[in-house]
Amino acid sequence: MSEAVVETHGLSKSYGDKAALRGLELNVPRGSIYGFLGRNGAGKTTTMKLLLGMLRPDAGEFSLFGETVSSEASSVAARRRIGFVSEGKDLYSFMTVGQVIRFTRPFFPGWRRELEDRYLQLFRLPLNQSIMKLSRGMRTQLMILLAMARGAELLVMDEPTSGLDPIMTEEVLQALADLAAGENVTIFFSSHQLAEVEQICDHVCLIDDGQKVLDGVLDDLKSQYRRIVLVFDAAAPAGLAGLKGVDHLRRSGRTASLLAHADVEGIVAEARNFAPLSVDVYPVTLKELFFDHVRGQ
Amino acid sequence: MLWFKAWLETRWRFCFIAASILFAWATPLWAPLFHLRAPAGVPESRLWLAVHVASVLLYIFAAIFLAGSGINSQTTYAATSGFHPSMLFTLSLPVTRRRLLLVRAGLGALQTSVLVIVMAAYTLFDRPEATTAAQLLTYLARAIVCTMPVYALSTMLACLFDEMWQFYGAFMCCVAAFVLQSRIPGLSSLSPFRGMSLISYPIAGPIPWAPVIFSLALTAVLMYASTLIVQRKQY
Repeated sequence: MSEAVVETHGLSKSYGDKAALRGLELNVPRGSIYGFLGRNGAGKTTTMKLLLGMLRPDAGEFSLFGETVSSEASSVAARRRIGFVSEGKDLYSFMTVGQVIRFTRPFFPGWRRELEDRYLQLFRLPLNQSIMKLSRGMRTQLMILLAMARGAELLVMDEPTSGLDPIMTEEVLQALADLAAGENVTIFFSSHQLAEVEQICDHVCLIDDGQKVLDGVLDDLKSQYRRIVLVFDAAAPAGLAGLKGVDHLRRSGRTASLLAHADVEGIVAEARNFAPLSVDVYPVTLKELFFDHVRGQ
Repeated sequence: MLWFKAWLETRWRFCFIAASILFAWATPLWAPLFHLRAPAGVPESRLWLAVHVASVLLYIFAAIFLAGSGINSQTTYAATSGFHPSMLFTLSLPVTRRRLLLVRAGLGALQTSVLVIVMAAYTLFDRPEATTAAQLLTYLARAIVCTMPVYALSTMLACLFDEMWQFYGAFMCCVAAFVLQSRIPGLSSLSPFRGMSLISYPIAGPIPWAPVIFSLALTAVLMYASTLIVQRKQY
């Protein structure tokens, strides 16, 4: 396996009685575009805040760029190599676009003026415009510019395309893909837009209730999993859930839908013992994996 | 660049207070237009006393209003409730929280000091009796030093609460401290409020070391506490 840029072991965090993360294990390979998915409140933002030193874990540890982050000094050192786009895309309302760029630039020795110019042009951001007067979409664009121009090795992005129109979303996703491919930048991002995750991510991790429920290379996951749809002449039998290799079973009237990840042919053969009228096997989408693993918990 | 951010964050507050002072300075110019004059029988010294007390209150107001933690983003000219999410952007920068706090606190303290100097100088120039340069400088120094505990208190509250509660909390603490120092015999000799005042300690008298030293110590303790808070707080 390639070198991990982000690695967490048993990462746990609670807010009072509510456990936000429960022993999270992550391994984000260098150069990957890593989709971090889960429902609202699953622990995605908490994980990002922990990685950026805004929160401290209750238990467990994590490393960034191969270095364990256990002190403020190590967190500051890691943050020199990280670009961040927060969920709210909030910047200082008392600055203009030009001022926030001038403010951010000196913190990052690897600041890339050519990327700054390129994104200023692409996003058509007016330098003298007050941030207070920017639309949400323009604030998103400005935050993406500030994250990308840092010359960061890791971009941590919480819903980076929210607030963007479809054309701009496409341009941002393309820019992210170019950064990962051309500059070996690792992109760790959360999104509720499963289609865009599927479009650009090579790795995905699904978390639910603070725990990882699925992760891996997206193409591998999609090739491992199959949807088997069986139609019966009466109510679909519950016994299908007992078939070896079936991850999730959904029954709806005469139809049963199985998500399976191993020995699909064997499962189909066994399922035929239940005398279905028809058996169909389909490839799965990320959306199906998400729904089956997250809703199925 | 943190200085740049701190200046942009506070400049309108600073200008607002400075403009208020200028407005007061210009009183002799505009008062006759509105036929304003001192009430009959009020001696000039009483008027000066009122101006001085108002200035001391403005020292406190400026100190509370200009303090900030450097992490919680503040609105430029008014207090708002709740934390502005742009603090996440600040916290993502490769800067220690201590530095974020100290740069912001340093700039606010500088601005407060400038305003205290302007207000103190105004009341002294307006004073009926003559004041020497040495007396003026001594008073300016003690006025700044004795204002700093209020500033440090407001800074510490800014590390804990949103702006609204920072201001309410700081004003309430000041009122409580004022009442305590006036009721408890031993405390009055240490009181920073008395240290700011030319009524408690006249300008021609000796330097009131007790409130000056107590103010320095209290400021150091409050700033140290602020540092600990921002380093431990989770956002």
